[in-house]
Amino acid sequence: MGRILIVDDTLFMRTLLKNILSSGGHEIVGEAEDGDIGVTKYRELKPDLVTMDVVMPKMNGIEALKAIKALDANAKVIMCTAVGQEQMVKLAIKSGARGYIVKPFQAPKVLEEIGNVLGA
Amino acid sequence: MAEVPAKLEKGGSWVTSRIDIGNDGIVLKDPWNVTVSYRSIVDLQKRGQMITLLVSMPDKTERPYKIASVEKVLTILTKKIIMACNAYRIMAHFMSPAIRGGVLVTDAKWEKGAIAVLKTGIWFVSQDRQISVPLKEVASLELTKRELQKKKLDVIKIDHLEGGEVVTSFILCPLSTLQVLYNFLRDATKDMDMKGSELDQLDAQTAQVAMLIYSGMDTKSIENMLSLPPEELNAIYETLLKLKLVDVVMVRKEVQLTPKGVRYITDALKPPS
Repeated sequence: MGRILIVDDTLFMRTLLKNILSSGGHEIVGEAEDGDIGVTKYRELKPDLVTMDVVMPKMNGIEALKAIKALDANAKVIMCTAVGQEQMVKLAIKSGARGYIVKPFQAPKVLEEIGNVLGA
Repeated sequence: MAEVPAKLEKGGSWVTSRIDIGNDGIVLKDPWNVTVSYRSIVDLQKRGQMITLLVSMPDKTERPYKIASVEKVLTILTKKIIMACNAYRIMAHFMSPAIRGGVLVTDAKWEKGAIAVLKTGIWFVSQDRQISVPLKEVASLELTKRELQKKKLDVIKIDHLEGGEVVTSFILCPLSTLQVLYNFLRDATKDMDMKGSELDQLDAQTAQVAMLIYSGMDTKSIENMLSLPPEELNAIYETLLKLKLVDVVMVRKEVQLTPKGVRYITDALKPPS
């Protein structure tokens, strides 16, 4: 089980992810509604894993991912994006993302992916 | 011809028999004793270790034949049928699954093969794999673009249900063929399109509830997440049921203790004498 930081600009998605991850026994150590807040919270909380939305208003997920990887090369970040933005995958993977979740998602597969990344 | 053991169904009974798999057709021995040409097969369904062929007869009727055998035999047979049966068939590349339950399949690859659209399903066939997607399980279709070898190419994106999971697959072929295939699939699955009057019944909250159901949330979690009283959530469920967007899988009961129940609990909590 892991300590997880959720970064997403919509309250609905944060609540949904929080619910899914908590039901899987994970601890949600923090939430952030933008990339720059996510980076700050990563520095403070040192979570085991971050779920990172790609499209956010101020600092987008890819920039936040790069900033987190610059702070901690071993950071485990799973990107989370909407359908139709799959072309961001290559860029995210190149930038160090460990996994990719496409919205809408199903709880069992998300938990499986999180488990795989935490266990890796 | 290659003669192999199989079980054949007739009138609800299974008979241990043999089949001859040829280049142009298949011979079904006892109890049928018929030769079925691949060209006369208009549909193929596979469930576990059994396939069902739908064969167009000379009198224009269609007759089903059920064959059960080991996986190796069914794999050879289905490949021969798919490549020669009476279906809309194109050479194409496909990627399946590309996304499963919303999680990107990182080792997904484009495979070269054929796509055949039969009466009740789409078959993807490559050198190594055969994948069947029943049309009734196709949730959505979209013409979109995917990057391949630094080029943005037109593809069909198919979301389909597989054992309760939403699986996304992609088909890639020349644009003109792609358009024909897309139109064909749209038409074959048009019953699932939402009509304008149906969309009018879906407000933002109903859409949120549907999204949470998709994600696997149970009723209690949905009530908590959206701060909805049970009666309101029930009304939203009724709307979704009416629009055939959901099925009832379980009816829960809310109960309260009877005087007997209260006595039982009171007694159970007394310290042992």
